[in-house]
Amino acid sequence: MDPFSAEGELINIHNAFHQGQYTSVIDFDTAALSPENQLPARILKLRAQIALGQAEEVVTETDAESEGDGEADLAAVKALAQHAAGDNDAALSTAHDLAENYPDNASVQVLCGTVLHALGNSEEALALLSRHQGNLEAVALIVQIHLQQNRTDLAIKEVQAAKRWAQDSLLVNLADSWLGMRVGGEKYQSAFYVYEELASAPSTSAPLSIVGQAVAEIHLGRLPEAEAALSAALAQYPDDVQIIANTIVLNVLAGKPSDELEARLKQVQPSHPLLVDLEEKSAFFDTAAAKYAPKVA
Amino acid sequence: MQSSPNMLTKFESKSSRAKGIAFHPKRPWILVSLHSSTIQLWDYRMGTLIDRFEEHDGPVRGIDFHKTQPLFVSGGDDYKIKVWSYQTRRCLFTLNGHLDYVRTVFFHHELPWILSASDDQTIRIWNWQNRSLICTMTGHNHYVMSAQFHPKEDLIASASLDQSVRIWDISGLRKKHSAPTSMTFEDQMSRANPNQADMFGNTDAVVKFVLEGHDRGVNWVAFHPTLPLIVSAGDDRLIKLWRMSDTKAWEVDTCRGHFQNASACLFHPHQDLILSVGEDKTIRVWDLNKRTSVQSFKRDLDRFWVIAAHPEINLFAAGHDTGVMVFKLERERPASAIYQNQLFYITKEKHVKSYDFAKNIESPSMLSLRKLGSPWVPPRTLSYNPAERAILVTSPADNGTYELIHLPRDATGAVEPTDSKRGQGTSAVFVARNRFAVFNQSSQQVDIKDLSNSTTKTIKPPVGTTDIFFGGTGCLLFITPTSVALFDIQQKKQLAELAVSGVKYVVWSNDGLYAALLSKHNVTIVTKTLEQVSSLHETIRIKSATWDDAGVLLYSTLNHVKYSLLNGDNGIIRTLDQTVYLVRVKGRNVYCLDRNAKPRILEIDPTEYRFKLALVKRNYDEMLQIIKNSSLVGQSIISYLQKKGYPEIALQFVQDPQTRFELALECGNLDVAIEMAKELDRPKLWDRLSTEALAHGNHQTVEMTYQKQRNFEKLSFLYLGTGDQEKLSRMAKIAEHRGDFISRFQNAIYRGDVEDRIQMFKEVDQYPLAYLTAKSHGLTEEAESILEACGLTEEQISLCTVDEPLQVPRPIVPTFKSNWPVKAAAHSSFEKALLGEVGAAGEDAAANGYDIEEEEEEAAAVHDALEEEDEDVAGWDMGEEINVEEDVDFVNVDSVEGGAGSSEADLWARNSPLAADHVAAGSFDTAMQLLNRQVGAVHFAPLKPRFLEVYKATKTYLPATVSLPPLVNYVRRTVEETDSRKVLPIIPRDLETIANDDLQRGYAAMRANKLEEGVEIFRGILHTLLVNTVSSEAEVEQAKKIIATAREYILAMSIELERRPLPVDTPEGLKRSLELSAYFTMPKLEVAHRQLALISAMKFAFTNRNYSSALSFANRMLANGGSAKLLDQARKIKAQCERNPQDAIDIEFDQFAEFDICAASHTPIYTGSPSVTDPFTGAKYHEQYKGTVCHVSQVTEIGAPASGLRLFVPSQN
Repeated sequence: MDPFSAEGELINIHNAFHQGQYTSVIDFDTAALSPENQLPARILKLRAQIALGQAEEVVTETDAESEGDGEADLAAVKALAQHAAGDNDAALSTAHDLAENYPDNASVQVLCGTVLHALGNSEEALALLSRHQGNLEAVALIVQIHLQQNRTDLAIKEVQAAKRWAQDSLLVNLADSWLGMRVGGEKYQSAFYVYEELASAPSTSAPLSIVGQAVAEIHLGRLPEAEAALSAALAQYPDDVQIIANTIVLNVLAGKPSDELEARLKQVQPSHPLLVDLEEKSAFFDTAAAKYAPKVA
Repeated sequence: MQSSPNMLTKFESKSSRAKGIAFHPKRPWILVSLHSSTIQLWDYRMGTLIDRFEEHDGPVRGIDFHKTQPLFVSGGDDYKIKVWSYQTRRCLFTLNGHLDYVRTVFFHHELPWILSASDDQTIRIWNWQNRSLICTMTGHNHYVMSAQFHPKEDLIASASLDQSVRIWDISGLRKKHSAPTSMTFEDQMSRANPNQADMFGNTDAVVKFVLEGHDRGVNWVAFHPTLPLIVSAGDDRLIKLWRMSDTKAWEVDTCRGHFQNASACLFHPHQDLILSVGEDKTIRVWDLNKRTSVQSFKRDLDRFWVIAAHPEINLFAAGHDTGVMVFKLERERPASAIYQNQLFYITKEKHVKSYDFAKNIESPSMLSLRKLGSPWVPPRTLSYNPAERAILVTSPADNGTYELIHLPRDATGAVEPTDSKRGQGTSAVFVARNRFAVFNQSSQQVDIKDLSNSTTKTIKPPVGTTDIFFGGTGCLLFITPTSVALFDIQQKKQLAELAVSGVKYVVWSNDGLYAALLSKHNVTIVTKTLEQVSSLHETIRIKSATWDDAGVLLYSTLNHVKYSLLNGDNGIIRTLDQTVYLVRVKGRNVYCLDRNAKPRILEIDPTEYRFKLALVKRNYDEMLQIIKNSSLVGQSIISYLQKKGYPEIALQFVQDPQTRFELALECGNLDVAIEMAKELDRPKLWDRLSTEALAHGNHQTVEMTYQKQRNFEKLSFLYLGTGDQEKLSRMAKIAEHRGDFISRFQNAIYRGDVEDRIQMFKEVDQYPLAYLTAKSHGLTEEAESILEACGLTEEQISLCTVDEPLQVPRPIVPTFKSNWPVKAAAHSSFEKALLGEVGAAGEDAAANGYDIEEEEEEAAAVHDALEEEDEDVAGWDMGEEINVEEDVDFVNVDSVEGGAGSSEADLWARNSPLAADHVAAGSFDTAMQLLNRQVGAVHFAPLKPRFLEVYKATKTYLPATVSLPPLVNYVRRTVEETDSRKVLPIIPRDLETIANDDLQRGYAAMRANKLEEGVEIFRGILHTLLVNTVSSEAEVEQAKKIIATAREYILAMSIELERRPLPVDTPEGLKRSLELSAYFTMPKLEVAHRQLALISAMKFAFTNRNYSSALSFANRMLANGGSAKLLDQARKIKAQCERNPQDAIDIEFDQFAEFDICAASHTPIYTGSPSVTDPFTGAKYHEQYKGTVCHVSQVTEIGAPASGLRLFVPSQN
């Protein structure tokens, strides 16, 4: 039986991870799990650690035991940790290695796929991921890569295929929502429902779901609701970059000043796409504007 | 047969055997006549015994209320019929005549008649007005067990132990007793020739039909309320249904089921049902049309003797061996669910309908649930799933069933559902977008099912669970008889438990933070984590509840709508004339479903609870608002405030001086207290005020109160305490005047005035004391003179030893000069809010930069800012030619086709010819190209913030897979659109914001004389509009107007800004100043603002003796009208100028010529002289400025060729 399925014993830790509740993943008591599930649980915990910014520790930890049973799995985690720690070259070579040697290992697929895509080798990542055997994480990742490549059509196909065999899985729902936000129209509303459901239940609420809900509200043009969600979230998680970034967008839309938030974002994550993009566009504006001048100065 | 789950017992009494029952037609009363000779009057709603009537001797079998009069009638085994008044609570009279037990008595529905049936084998009709027997019907040859009037026609039905049912025609009796004038000739003929007379020659009441069919005695007979049907119950254990026509009557069918004597039966007043009771201890319900048993209810020990139906409400009562039970057959609560603005509910016909709260529209039927459950059992609950547009309906039939049905997109009528899924379950609710929970009480199991009705999870609820409710997303509430438990479905664990007994319904607040748990008599408010917030008790049944948006719970009892705040404060909002089920509150409207499942709107006055809520939340502004806008000055609110410790707020409401005084004292507001005391002027109040003021140390008030009370002693002492010597001596004088020596003595002591003391002693002939005083103070001369006056010598007196004379202590501080530092009577924040209102208004006026009154100003500014119909938009040459260049305007955007698709931003640029959309797409270069072509934009730097603002607003960042950058999504203004060729980006700061926000800020800057800021604001408006989109042609016009307005203001403000720093001591400077101040009056500003320009120009011209110009300004001001003060000034100046209409300094300003002002040089461009125009703003310039950047917009090139700004493409909408 798939350990991540609704009846499997990993369902809770798995869901917690994908709902962005990383601390509860780390705090999850794995002692009671059956032996074959120990490794997947451990990997989820390591990934949660990475997500919380403890990449260095994970590198050290996985370095120590990238031999033995879960060799490939842990190595894949290591690649991800290396990437997160900024050691892109090492990460890329590890990922390449693993992709070649263990292309059928689920962890390798997902984690190395992530690394490869993050470092710009999206096609390679897709090739690796396409070998998955009913691995929903891989599906979700494929959908994300397609979306990032603006291939909404391919993403739709992928989600629909996955829905056929895993209709109620959290990951499929999430992937469907990502897609919905891109497709728009009625899909905004369904995406909103998914995130709202996650965000409103105390056991599943996390910045991830709140941001998702707020973003859907923005897309639906319901700015006051989005503002309520985001300002509450911002008070709770003042350093969550996506909350800050989306609040900036919302403030601009609502005609409110956003300078302070931009400064905060710059402080927390100077490499955030919003800032990078703006920087780029600002320079672009200057070059473009330079082409024009009045006839008489 | 098992007892039906649907019969709902509403009331039960304990007594001896109940033989007769009657419902009051209006009030919740029931009369019960007992075998023990007592008649009881019960309030079945409150469950209280109102009265007992004990005058019969032996069992009382018949009882009936009069429909309209406060009367009732009873008949007993003492052969007597008694008529009672329940108002005076006594028997009015007794009708004697029957010779055996009286079995039943009934009033006629309109005539003053009473019908009685007796064991003496007769049926009698009595007139209760003249208290006479008017008819005796004989024919039955055994006891007559019951006799009833037909509800409409002149018929009587009687049942007898002679095994027959008889129908009697009493039209003759009616004729005889109606007014004699109405008797026609034929009537007289027919009466003269009685052709229908019975064997005794009686024509008043004749037997019409004799119904034979029962094999044993018949106990009861009843007419159908509308149809020609009769039902009878007999000792043969059968219920027989009969039909009659004008000429005959026949047996229709028999209902078999009672296994003992059937004692009574009746037709359901509204439904096609027959109800019967019997000595087999059952109540049985039969289908009138099929004559099959629908349901039955069995009591363990008590035989039933009688049944009665309420004439209006869906209620029945049955009398048995140990009392009476009042019940209804089915729940009348319509199943309903709310989602946002929609109410979904199931009608009596079992149709699903929706109701829109906002529009107050009922939809046509969407679905028919006729086949759900059994035909006589209405669905119990409805749960709605907006994501799937599905409903989940439960019905108690067959031990509980549920059905999952998708609602059709459009309501097209009562169609049968096609794709429903069903199953067994006591209750079922949606718990998530794609999950619902089904609870099975018998197996004590909760199944979580997906939408294909397959079970995904199974949960064991706590033992004894009776019901489940939605418990917040992903959670369930389990209800047991003694507690409520919150259960997380995903984690499969119980999160919380609360001991609340008998919960029947759960109502969640709109924000999902609170829930109200309703039980029969209690409301418990809990948080979403099941922590109890408050609870309240009602003596009457609680029917339903709903939450106000502000978090106030409104609930309905049988006869009231009430509210409860979170803290448990509650009160009545209004009374109800019929039971309703609240579903929502919005403003002053309470929406509810009545028992016929019709949506109704009740008006309520939410003031009281809003006020209390504001009080609890300390939202003083809101309270202020409420006080101002409503007449909420009830005693209840005042005492509430006082009780809750807000006397200072209560003070704001009270008019009554006495109460005001009390409240003022309570909150230490002496000023008000004094005021009120003055008004009332009662010694007792002064007394209390003085005590209070003294406690405050407010001695001035104390002084005043003592003066009022003429309390001289206390006054003196007060002056002593405060060290006010002057007043103390005045007190001494007063004492002297009054001839009050004690007082004088006292004052003298206080003042340390020895002479006066001696003088006083002398006056009262107390020479020894006078002498002693003088002596002790060393006033030897005085002492000797006293001795002399007395004719004594020093030797004759023996003196005690005298110490140092008494010294009066003197206050160190001259306290009397002012009050002791009193803690400023703290204004509550509420009072501050009250004062703040005034203060703010004052400040507003003060902040006015111009030193003139401008009352009209505000009003004018609030007026639609764009009201300048007569505004001349000359030079605004974007006209019809827009469409001609449509294709040219499209700028081709390069897009990359390949492995990666093009982003939505690229699509935007492709989909739209509008510059703003290109900016949003990040395609700044093409946007600039467009703007350059459309309005000749060349200097883009000032637009940079706007470009980046628009760009920033278009993308959201959705975190997806961890470790990867967030997914970027594109915010559209076409929210509904999914066609990639039509999607368009959102543009922040739409026209509405600009008009309502920015423009008003600009006006405010003008009013406040902050011109630099104003120029910035208006220029900002221009830039915002330049990169923007609108949604209709009308809005394009509006945008053009705003552009023109902004241009005029920028021009005006720039002129004034140029003038200000100019020196006026040089002739050139002065001349230019005068010119500029004249030009300042030219731009087309709002009238109020133009007046500002005019008055400053007028004054400036006047002071520099340019009377002619000043005169023209004054005239223009007068023409514009406005505040009186302003016009007065103008008139004065006009009068002065008219004496000498000459300009001292010749300026370049021709008040009679038409001219524009060059926005660069601020000099006139007279009509006809060459000029160039800015393609965007339409500002005019002298020709030499052609090719330079416009001073107004700072973006566009003056005189550049341009096609005109495009903000709207019709095909986009």
